[in-house]
Amino acid sequence: MGILVNKDSKVVVQGMTGSEGAKHSRAMKEFGTQVVAGVTPGKGGQDFEGWPIYNSVAEAKQKHDANVSIIFVPPAGAADAVLEAAHAGIPLIVLITEGVPTVDMMRAVQEVKRLDAESKAGGGQGVRLIGGNCPGLVTNGECKVGIMPNKIYEKPGRIGLISRSGTLTYESAKLLNDAGMGTSTTVGIGGDPVIGTTFADVLPMFEADPDTDAVVLIGEIGGADEEAAAEYIAQNMKKPVVAFISGRSAPKGKRMGHAGAIIMGDVGTPESKLAAFQKANVPVADTMPEIIELVKKALGQ
Amino acid sequence: MKLHEYQGKEILRQFGVNVQDGKVATTPEEVRAIYQEYGQPVVVKAQVHVGGRGKAGGVKFSPNEDKAEENARNILGMDIKGLTVEKVLVTRAVDIDAGTEYYVGMIVDRNVQSYTLMASAEGGMEIEEVAATTPEKIIKYRVDPVTGLRPFEARAVAIEAGFKGNLNKIADMMVKMSKAAFERDAVLVEINPLFIEADGTPLALDTKFEVDDNAMYRHKDIAHYRELSAEHPLEVEASDYGFAYVKLDDGNVGVLGNGAGIVMTSLDVVNRAGAKPANFLDIGGGAKADVVYNAVKLVSKDPDVKSIFINIFGGITRADEVAKGVIQALDDGILTKPVRMRIAGTAEDEAKVLLGDKNSDLIKMYPTMFEAAEEAAKEANALGGK
Repeated sequence: MGILVNKDSKVVVQGMTGSEGAKHSRAMKEFGTQVVAGVTPGKGGQDFEGWPIYNSVAEAKQKHDANVSIIFVPPAGAADAVLEAAHAGIPLIVLITEGVPTVDMMRAVQEVKRLDAESKAGGGQGVRLIGGNCPGLVTNGECKVGIMPNKIYEKPGRIGLISRSGTLTYESAKLLNDAGMGTSTTVGIGGDPVIGTTFADVLPMFEADPDTDAVVLIGEIGGADEEAAAEYIAQNMKKPVVAFISGRSAPKGKRMGHAGAIIMGDVGTPESKLAAFQKANVPVADTMPEIIELVKKALGQ
Repeated sequence: MKLHEYQGKEILRQFGVNVQDGKVATTPEEVRAIYQEYGQPVVVKAQVHVGGRGKAGGVKFSPNEDKAEENARNILGMDIKGLTVEKVLVTRAVDIDAGTEYYVGMIVDRNVQSYTLMASAEGGMEIEEVAATTPEKIIKYRVDPVTGLRPFEARAVAIEAGFKGNLNKIADMMVKMSKAAFERDAVLVEINPLFIEADGTPLALDTKFEVDDNAMYRHKDIAHYRELSAEHPLEVEASDYGFAYVKLDDGNVGVLGNGAGIVMTSLDVVNRAGAKPANFLDIGGGAKADVVYNAVKLVSKDPDVKSIFINIFGGITRADEVAKGVIQALDDGILTKPVRMRIAGTAEDEAKVLLGDKNSDLIKMYPTMFEAAEEAAKEANALGGK
């Protein structure tokens, strides 16, 4: 179970024949993900390590009934790859690529949202984009659509995890595992300024998921997604949420690796995020191991 | 990439914005010659990538050619917030009292997943200041990323902001600014002050422009705008290696790790341990030994760095590759500062075996990032760091 992806998800890989696409297609298959096909325009009809390659997402979807796409296309073509998947009717699109121009992402995200609304208005299941510049998502023991190390996500747990950072996602999943809790589904929403899915979009899914008891949210400086999440939690969530914010000592005006991790003027400061979580009664861990203590406390353990 | 005022003006001019004329000079003599050409009072403006030039004395009204040359002599070579002024922009002086100063700008706004257009009748001062004291005086409007800003929208925002003057011309300038933002991939564009002349015509007196680094591949024609001399030499070297690197002020612990999040957290942990991080360095995902070697080399070069904290949680990155890179740096004599590291995740055991043989005062491994950071902080503070 878990959210967004499970053992029945059928995954098509856009950019499978590139080095990253190939490497992670193998790793996803090893994890147990149903990787059904690859898409590389111009290489349609070829076989790649046992996977059929198609020229278009539409064709791959039609032949294999795919319902998830993961994108490893280089930055210049990445936003177009998102739109191709969205127009082909793939309901869940995961953009791994880092370095996509922000203007391209603005346009892609707006169009995906329009298609989502149209699909839902017509009784369809909608279209969701996760990322870019994200590690993807994984439901433990069932399905990984991403680039995270397999080992820490094998055993099913009951803590939902959402994060703007890749490595911190692995780190916290490992800590949760070691503490005997483990994760249900982990969603890496990405480190770019304009992304398809925010914390506040994922939280309601965890709230509704019977396999999730509590949620860990890994935020960072920049933007106001954490503030929006805090507001959502205060108004709508019954399940406990524990937060962590990285980059608390970063100076203003400097971009900390992630394109979105920058304090501009008074927007994106750690103070603002901490205050928002405090107001929402969401405990914020000062260190990563403290996340575990706070989760245990929240669950009454 | 931040652009100088004159570079931002060049771009806006290409999009048809009525920009105040000016010429760039690097010597006082050139400034005198420009004055002679204009034959009227000028303003000599320092071209540096920081705000607050005026307050720092980097913008001077010059009523005659002697004064223009003198002002240029004072401004060129001046240090403004750590940056040396190497160029000035000389513009015709405008009688500010004969018109009005407004503000318009566009910024990437993740909350609306597009650009937010900002307009304020409080022109001429830093918008952050207006935002802090009288935020109600800034009108904000989400620009649709597919259509861009359209004239009727620009007029509505201008009216709401209380702009007076030739409304059609002002809106036209805003639309052109929006085109420049989308087509040149701006992270930020500002026209401030947007000067409204006595006859109602808008004129862009000063601009700020920052281009999305991720989009530079499609703006090769402005690649020469990048000035290596305006950047920290270590940042220049890091960008040649393809690292995400930021030099931090007043630090004494060099920090490197794999992934932006883990490095940000590493900075926090170093702070918590009572020392100051001297840099942010993300070696990226899946780094091989040679990449790690270069990263260690780069951080070691920084004279501020007294000790190095390496924090790796291997996912795609293999811990043994990291170990190999560090060991190579040690064997080559590049590593002369104490390294305190925490390496966990993929191939952790192999890394421990490799590094176990090298365990010394120079290289030590710890099971958690806190212990490693604390030891790095202790070393740095003991070695006369700040």
